[in-house]
Amino acid sequence: MRKVWRRLGLRARITLLFALGGLLLSVTIAVATLTLARQNLLADREDRAFSVVIRNGDRVAQRLTEETDAEEVGAIFDSLTITERSHPLLRVDDVWTASNPQVFSNENVPSVLVAAVENGHAARIRTRLDDKPALITGIPIPNLDADYYEAALVDDVEGALNTLGIIVIGVATAATLLAAAIGSWASRRALTPLVEVRAAAESLAAGELDTRLDPPADADLASLTASFNGMARSLEDRIERDARFASEVSHELRSPLMTLNASAEVLNNSRDDLSERNQTALDLLTDDIGRFTDLVEDLLEISRYDVGSAALQAEPIDLVEFVRQAVAHGRYPDTSVNAETLEYLVIEGDKRRLAQVVANLLDNAAKYGEGHVGIEVRERRDTVQMIIEDQGPGVPYEERSVIFDRFSRGSAGGSRGQGTGSGLGLSLVTEHVGLHGGHVWVEDRPDGGQGARFVVSLPKTDPIE
Amino acid sequence: MGTRILTVEDDERIRTAVKLALEDEGWDVEEADSGEEALNAFTRQAADVVLIDIMLPGIDGFDVCRAIRRVSDVPIVMVTARADTHDVVAGLEAGADDYLTKPFAPKELSARIRALLRRARTSEPGAPQMIFGDLEIVPDEGVVRVGGDEVHLTKTEFRLLVELASSPGRVFSREVLLERVWGYGYFGDGRLVDVHIRRLRTKVESDAANPRHVVTVRGLGYKLQT
Repeated sequence: MRKVWRRLGLRARITLLFALGGLLLSVTIAVATLTLARQNLLADREDRAFSVVIRNGDRVAQRLTEETDAEEVGAIFDSLTITERSHPLLRVDDVWTASNPQVFSNENVPSVLVAAVENGHAARIRTRLDDKPALITGIPIPNLDADYYEAALVDDVEGALNTLGIIVIGVATAATLLAAAIGSWASRRALTPLVEVRAAAESLAAGELDTRLDPPADADLASLTASFNGMARSLEDRIERDARFASEVSHELRSPLMTLNASAEVLNNSRDDLSERNQTALDLLTDDIGRFTDLVEDLLEISRYDVGSAALQAEPIDLVEFVRQAVAHGRYPDTSVNAETLEYLVIEGDKRRLAQVVANLLDNAAKYGEGHVGIEVRERRDTVQMIIEDQGPGVPYEERSVIFDRFSRGSAGGSRGQGTGSGLGLSLVTEHVGLHGGHVWVEDRPDGGQGARFVVSLPKTDPIE
Repeated sequence: MGTRILTVEDDERIRTAVKLALEDEGWDVEEADSGEEALNAFTRQAADVVLIDIMLPGIDGFDVCRAIRRVSDVPIVMVTARADTHDVVAGLEAGADDYLTKPFAPKELSARIRALLRRARTSEPGAPQMIFGDLEIVPDEGVVRVGGDEVHLTKTEFRLLVELASSPGRVFSREVLLERVWGYGYFGDGRLVDVHIRRLRTKVESDAANPRHVVTVRGLGYKLQT
């Protein structure tokens, strides 16, 4: 039960609660109304019937004598105020005379009433006649051994009460439905601010860390807004602290790296004086200091993006010349560079960062792609593209965005890239290209050949006259 | 006496390691662990090249650079934390000739120092005197006069002006100037050229904001107006 209740939405639960409350309230009012009405109507009806019986009793007493025979009794009955709902009954000595014995005879008079009346008291009793509620009144006739009884059916009151009952049930149902409707409306009203909260939470999740809720006009929602904004603020602080931490750690690592670099170089200057074993150790040391330096520099570079301090140092660059130079100064100087146009493809670029983009993509092709086929530079509408193809196993469709994540090398990288690369190469490529307002993606080679094809697309600027 | 290099660095371990590496190149190295100490050392005995870390306790690297620049045109190499900050431009404007970012390889530092030393000794004998309006360059003597008055240029500024003057009217791209003056290739930092041109203008132009001699050719580079 509890589980079912929980499974209902908040709105359904509020609506249901309102409906239950409405039902309870209207049932209580209906029961109270019917009870009171019944008592009042019955009392009123009985009082009216009683006064008629008293009058009829007086009349019988006036006309009844010792000598009155059965025929005269009928005449007396006819002179009485009798309705279709009242039935007279007369006892003289042991003779009972009824005007309508099928409905009301001495059989129907409770003995308690007979006893009370024979003792000389007028009395009345509630009972049922012909399966209908009735009031039987008995009046002793003074000076004679006779009593006058009259039964009055009060089922007309029942009828009125039934009608009233139907009306009350109708009103109660309407009240319940109205309560449910109000509950539904009120819950929707009350939940409206949650829609804004949801939008804000989604925007936070999407990385807009400075998202905040506007202070609400409603005082009841102020605490919700305040605590949501408090949460967002501490989340933002926390993330910024983490980013700063990474930045500061790599910053601090540079000093010991400087010392290591310089000391290793001093040792390398007198390498020939060392034994073969020591030379091997020195080579290992030098190699790993180099890799360590690359890793720290990559970390520093990427943490600048995290703390938001990466600034583009842009100057006009002819991309074809740039790529030729980047290749010539890089680790793979014999890579072929093909340009489909001889025109200047000028972009606003940061040479240092774009050179790192080219170097990292060439590294990636060399490490995971069995070497690169070459670099192509081309123009596509208002963008220029650098395309680097390799002849490795390619990148499976489901890994095409994952490989640009930090420290993710894809399945091929995992098996073949053990111990090489900082794991930040492609994510730095993404950040650098993004800072230029461009995009990078990986696709299949269009010539159907085996391998991956990395495309860097950068916005072109108009050539300067 | 050999070439003297003053290194200003507050981290003792780095200072010692760099000193060892530079001594392997055959240079005499003097160390200073603060800006004050550096200025004292430089006053005692001038150096041939000064290496200054910008992040120094007390007097910072920029102030040390400016103080040295007031009394000497010694080549200065700045060591900055990162390449993409204003520190680089601020350092160059304070008078540095070149800069390196931490962590750098000592090999790269020695290459920079050698380039600066080469520049400091450059004065090809027999080069003719050149006159452009009120600007007069005497390469032989390393002298520049504006309106007959001698102006004091650093070695780098002088070298930059002589390069531009070697083909008056020809546009020199940043890359070409970087290569000829600093010994950098295509990937040298163009801001080196820009800041030095700016400093050169304050010295040889009557109105640096509207240069008549050293003019910018937008998107291409600089040239010396004939």
